[in-house]
Amino acid sequence: MMIDVEHLTKKYPGGVTAVSDVSFTVARGDVVGFLGPNGAGKSTTMRILSGFISPSGGTVRVAGLDVTKDSLKVRRHLGYLPESCPLYLEMRVRDFLRYRGELKGVPYRHLKNRVSKVMEQCGLLEVRKRPIGHLSKGFRQRVGIADALVHNPDLLILDEPTIGLDPNQILLIRKLIDELSREHTLLLSTHILREVEATCDRVIVLQQGQIVDSAPLRELEDRWCPATRIHLEVRAKSDELDVFCRQLPDLREFKLRMEDDWACLELDFGLNADPRQDLFDRVRQRGWDLRELHRKRRTLEEAFVNMTHGEVPAGDIPEEAAHA
Amino acid sequence: MRNLTTLWRREVASLWFSPVAYILTTMFLVVMGVGFWFVASYRLVDGASIYDVLRALYGGVAWFALLMVIPVLTMRSFAEEKRSGTLEMLLTAPVTDWEVVLAKFLGLVTIYILMWAPTLAYLLILNHVNDAQTALDIGALGSTYLGLLLIGMFFLSIGLLCSALTQNLIVAAISTFACLGVIFIGGFLPEVSPSPVLRQLTEPFSPILHMLDFARGLVDTRPLVLYVSGTWLMLTTTTRVLESRRWRA
Repeated sequence: MMIDVEHLTKKYPGGVTAVSDVSFTVARGDVVGFLGPNGAGKSTTMRILSGFISPSGGTVRVAGLDVTKDSLKVRRHLGYLPESCPLYLEMRVRDFLRYRGELKGVPYRHLKNRVSKVMEQCGLLEVRKRPIGHLSKGFRQRVGIADALVHNPDLLILDEPTIGLDPNQILLIRKLIDELSREHTLLLSTHILREVEATCDRVIVLQQGQIVDSAPLRELEDRWCPATRIHLEVRAKSDELDVFCRQLPDLREFKLRMEDDWACLELDFGLNADPRQDLFDRVRQRGWDLRELHRKRRTLEEAFVNMTHGEVPAGDIPEEAAHA
Repeated sequence: MRNLTTLWRREVASLWFSPVAYILTTMFLVVMGVGFWFVASYRLVDGASIYDVLRALYGGVAWFALLMVIPVLTMRSFAEEKRSGTLEMLLTAPVTDWEVVLAKFLGLVTIYILMWAPTLAYLLILNHVNDAQTALDIGALGSTYLGLLLIGMFFLSIGLLCSALTQNLIVAAISTFACLGVIFIGGFLPEVSPSPVLRQLTEPFSPILHMLDFARGLVDTRPLVLYVSGTWLMLTTTTRVLESRRWRA
């Protein structure tokens, strides 16, 4: 296992518990997303993993090494990008990466090549001679990722790597993360759920310092959004629609919204149901005009909202997922 | 050792290439230069020896410069890193807290030495205007600069500790100035206190008397031990303060 966290607890002075009895593992080569609302304990967990702060209880192992007892060795195995991407703004990009490479133990004979490689990988060659303070936020974020990468660590921990970036910069960073995920184990924390969908194999959801769930994305969506949602737009009267909906087999709930003459329906069926053909036939039988009929994709957003609002999933959470 | 030299180089570069260093060095050299001009022109006219001039300069004017310069020089060390968040980046690299503290301290000492280096020119000037009968005593000059280094190191370590205790630069500078001010003013107690007991008690800790001794060419082991151990104590306390983030942060 690359990361093995058992019963991790972090209490701050004053009695605030940031993380409480959290356990999870990350296998070598995995790309895992850390999700949760603000104050859920994501950054605290990442700071403990990086060796910046110590846990109050439990054990944390990175590459088989205890982060408290073998902190220095652990830090050689990981590259960490803190949330605010702090950098020495007065330094030039190349000098900064050389400095960080030296500090992280890259042999002098490989330093130049290694710095050139990460600059190329992160698209920094064109700005290598510029002071970091003169760069855009997107470039600074790339410098932060290059810093995390410079000693070619086994594990990359990126805390909100796309925070505050514009959509174009987000796409570039996401592409970079996607490339990195092929060579490194990656633990990624983000608020942007689409980012997790785009890059992660598995998601760990934290809320109020505890793991709500941990599973591959599809499993998580099935568990927390156990419904097939159909969007239907027909020209019909609302009282007819009420009867229509009540006659539909396996319908769990529906929402109706009128747009002029058109009725817009959101219909939730059982998880594996596909009632599109049946719906089409029923609408045709009634002679209604049909404007739109499609199955809506369940989103991680919905699952996230359900998880972090304490909604109980349809089935029980498997034991291993509950304990990640 | 590699980590220490890497960190030290970065500290020296960041201090030396910042506008603060230039402003401070200029301010320091102006104060010292004006002080030297006053002391030299009055004392030499009165027929005093060049050692009287050096004592007045390094035992008097230098204090003003030290009390002004050291708080500003040290305030950024940790407070700025905390404020900007770079401390997290720094301490998640494979370096120990002690290496970081020591490198920052050595960086400050290097700049401190570089600031004092131009004052060696005063000695050349004094040597030039001096009559041939009293050649400059290299030993006495060496002990003067040794005293400045020891006291400077102790003061710098106090500044470093104050900087580690806050993330506000102004608070760091003012608290350092307050600490150094108390030590400096306390240094007059052996001279001004009416109580002989208090005089006896404070005499071994007076940096003013120590500096006058150093300027006379007297290297006593007691102040030497005092400043080296005081510096060590401050640096280890700074390391503990830094380590406290692990359970406080």
